[in-house]
Amino acid sequence: MRWQAHPVLAVCTTLGLWAAWALPVARLAPNRLLSGEPVFLSALLPGWAGWMVLPLIVLVFSPTQAPAPIPTVSAPGGLMDRWHPVTTLLLMAALLAGLFWLVGRYAQQVTFTESRLARTSLGAGFWSLLALAWLASLDAVQHLTRSAVLRHALMGGVALPFVTLLMLGVGHDLSILKEYANRDDVFWTAVRRHLQIVAVATLPSVLLALPLAWACSRFTRLRQAVFPLLNIIQTIPSIALFGLFMAPLAWLALRFPALSQAGISGVGLAPAVLALVLYSLLPITRSALAGLDQVPEATQTAARAMGMSAGQIFWRVELPLALPVLLPGLRTAVVQTIGLAAVTALVGAGGLGSLMFDGLFSAANDLVLLGVLPIVLLAMLVDALFKAAISFTRPATVLDGAPPVAQLADAGRYTA
Amino acid sequence: MIEFQNIGKSYDGVMAVDNLNLHIAQGELVVFIGPSGSGKSTALKMINRMIDHDRGHILLEGREIDSFDVRELRRRMGYAIQSVGLFPHWTVARNIATVPQLLGWPRERIHQRVCELLTLFGMAPAQFLQRLPHQLSGGQQQRVGVARALAADPAVLLMDEPFGALDPVTRATLQLELKRVHQSSGKTIVLVTHDIDEALLLADRIVLLNHGQVVQVATPLALLSNPADDFVLDFVGRADLGIKLLSLKPVAPLVCRAPAPPGSPTLANTASLREAVATLAVHGASVLSIVNLQQEVVGSLHAADVFSPATPSHG
Amino acid sequence: MMSTWRRNFLLAAGVTVLLGSSWMAQAQTAAPLRVGSKIDTEGKLLGNLIVLALEAQGLKVDNKVSLGNTKVVRTALVAGEIDIYPEYTGNGAFMLGDEGNKAWKDLRAGYELVKKLDLERNHIVWLEPANANNTWAIAVRKDVASANQLRTLDDLAKFAAGAGPFKLAASAEFMERPDGLPAFTAAYGLKLRPDQTLVLAGGDTAATLRAAAEKTSGVNAAMAYGTDGPVAALSLVIMQDPKGAQPVYAPAPLVREDVLKRHPVIATVLAPIFKSLDTETLQQLNARIQLEGIDARKVAGDYLRSKGFIK
Repeated sequence: MRWQAHPVLAVCTTLGLWAAWALPVARLAPNRLLSGEPVFLSALLPGWAGWMVLPLIVLVFSPTQAPAPIPTVSAPGGLMDRWHPVTTLLLMAALLAGLFWLVGRYAQQVTFTESRLARTSLGAGFWSLLALAWLASLDAVQHLTRSAVLRHALMGGVALPFVTLLMLGVGHDLSILKEYANRDDVFWTAVRRHLQIVAVATLPSVLLALPLAWACSRFTRLRQAVFPLLNIIQTIPSIALFGLFMAPLAWLALRFPALSQAGISGVGLAPAVLALVLYSLLPITRSALAGLDQVPEATQTAARAMGMSAGQIFWRVELPLALPVLLPGLRTAVVQTIGLAAVTALVGAGGLGSLMFDGLFSAANDLVLLGVLPIVLLAMLVDALFKAAISFTRPATVLDGAPPVAQLADAGRYTA
Repeated sequence: MIEFQNIGKSYDGVMAVDNLNLHIAQGELVVFIGPSGSGKSTALKMINRMIDHDRGHILLEGREIDSFDVRELRRRMGYAIQSVGLFPHWTVARNIATVPQLLGWPRERIHQRVCELLTLFGMAPAQFLQRLPHQLSGGQQQRVGVARALAADPAVLLMDEPFGALDPVTRATLQLELKRVHQSSGKTIVLVTHDIDEALLLADRIVLLNHGQVVQVATPLALLSNPADDFVLDFVGRADLGIKLLSLKPVAPLVCRAPAPPGSPTLANTASLREAVATLAVHGASVLSIVNLQQEVVGSLHAADVFSPATPSHG
Repeated sequence: MMSTWRRNFLLAAGVTVLLGSSWMAQAQTAAPLRVGSKIDTEGKLLGNLIVLALEAQGLKVDNKVSLGNTKVVRTALVAGEIDIYPEYTGNGAFMLGDEGNKAWKDLRAGYELVKKLDLERNHIVWLEPANANNTWAIAVRKDVASANQLRTLDDLAKFAAGAGPFKLAASAEFMERPDGLPAFTAAYGLKLRPDQTLVLAGGDTAATLRAAAEKTSGVNAAMAYGTDGPVAALSLVIMQDPKGAQPVYAPAPLVREDVLKRHPVIATVLAPIFKSLDTETLQQLNARIQLEGIDARKVAGDYLRSKGFIK
């Protein structure tokens, strides 16, 4: 046992203390359009609350065992060995929930003291503390388990009290939640639409990229021609690409009314999806190709020699072996698409971007946040789901009774 | 079973295989051997059309291999390679079951066959069925590779330097296992190697190639006794010729019934004369006590008989 | 284990269903009415009023409210991409030429003029207008206005040319269109140096008003509309236009002639609704959207129900 400061927790605590003192945790504005006056945490907390920092300091400087940052899956570690990260997680969950409750209560009080139009927004201090608590929690779960699924579940657990308070209506007087309340059906339509855009853009991209990658793995010259082209497409600014498609699609819809009936026009889903498909091509093709490239040659030879057809070799051997490389590329593409889909609102495709731009043009910051936050959360959720899927494609860990040679080979193989 | 007729294959003007004519009978274990670039691997791969021949014909059971659907042809032949090429994402059972599944065998039959093969290679099914390839040692992987090649009970088994990447002990073990499998199954096996000792141990007939051309086709004994030219002599190991010949001869014909004096060193009755000479020399003895598998004494071997061409001096 | 073919077929079928259903969601069946609007607050309000009113009549409506700026929406109507959108009579002066005509300074005269011209040239029908003037205006911070006794645009012109720090936040459209700043320049000699203007994207005055209210980048005046809601709430004062430099901008629905012929009920339904909208009403409705943050469709629906136009 030795005394050492936990570096990540120390940094987060230091920054957090500074943020809590220097940055406003909320802003009070006379109406929806103005920015408002800062409200600091010190104003919301009673004097003795300063002592609540103490447990955090204790955690930062707690004794810990000699460095074993990542426990092996089969290590016996019981609850006593893991008290530090568990306590950290509990503390962070309480911090998040407590902070939200404080600000929510303040917003509620404000509705009695200020005019009907007054708005309370979440301030920079709140967001900073949120981010720092999240970081500290991320660090703590690293020390608790190696399983990607469990890690995400624990992070979800940290957010649970916060979310519960949200569901219970604490904070419904906050500006962002008022914006939501004023247009909740529009919001959910936008969310559905956003997901629709992402799905309709990703699927064709995958269907195009896989054969393309397969062809590139066969013909080197094709590889040399395709990737520069995809790289160039990637560099075109998104709004420009959406705009570029509007005129040709409008002309097409005019020339062929059948297309117009099917919903293809110069504005809306069509130019958006077309551009998003093109943007997704590069990451997916590149990772699919890298995945196919790393399939061992001996395996491919054996598959051929056993009488598998090219299709069977692709679907049963090459693709499953390429998955651990393909899935991260697909993850990149989907997360990228979630973000880019926000811009499609400019060409009339709807989605969460329309809320965002609505807020921008009507100078209502919290409306912008109402559009942006779900996009961020969506991206995080999709990222987590992909990470879990990727962890399932890794080969199983060592079984009992396997000869020592195999175990040695495995030791270097598995990182989280 | 397999017939090569005037087979030729060239790469960029260089003949990799030149005018190969060979008949392989059913149940034979034929070894293609030669220095690097001799065309031995190329010749092997032409049998299951992994490489297409430029000239000539290859017949399988009297039928041109070009007339078969290539996938059907390959499913009728087992193929084992040096790097094994097991499918890393499938269990041992699924790997072995590859061709039977392609052929549409029922599940029980496949399972039965997989367990049968694992047992044949000395790997307990209960332990190994669900293992993944990376959890196996090199020798175990190659055993699974050969089992996979044999799974659909093909008439022909093609092997391209299958034991080249293994350590000497495992190699020796697997060579003996292969010999045993060949003897019990009666399959036609075509094996490529660069190791003359392996060839001498396993082959019914050896085909020695050099620069794509056949230098000599003979049984191991004939190859050692009557090498066709200096190249063959050098290849089989000029200096070791005698020792190698001895390793091909069993002790049984020279064993006499009379027991050996007590304290004599023992030797198994399945041993070769080479081992007998070595044992005699190491112990400085002149008589060996010969025992069977159950360690019972069955007779004796006299040094004088080993080194003389006549029949046993003692009864 | 499923055979390869069966699995491939199911996969392809699944993909088709997914794609197909997405397109279906977009697909249009029996030519619905496409209602568009500009992306500013009042555009959304008027657009939604039209959408809800027509839907209540049992007509199929495709909601394309908030399509784009004036040019985009007008082009879409002329090209036939949309069927109806709310426009301002004053805009006719510049869309159809004939800016000099004095008729634009009068609501009724201007309306009749634009109605005649557009029907002749483009087969577009201007329906009954509202009795409101959503003209361009300049709003100044109350403290600046009272400190310098600024009441009319005349005062403002002198102030801007003189020593007083003055910065106007406005949209590009306002700066460039002849009936925007140039009209004020012509009537009052209001000349602004480049450092006295801040050009913002988009035509919504919420951004410009906010900039003036918060003194962002030294802004103390903002482009505003006659029917803007938040002006008073943000402590801003609109400079009066005694010389009548601006044409009258009365909102009215525009509809393609062929569409109107197919559905003449459009005119009868929308006329009383637009007649009920005067400047004050529009200001209140706009304030609900901009200051209270209620969604435009809800505000429109509440209004129509309160006046008994729909149930």
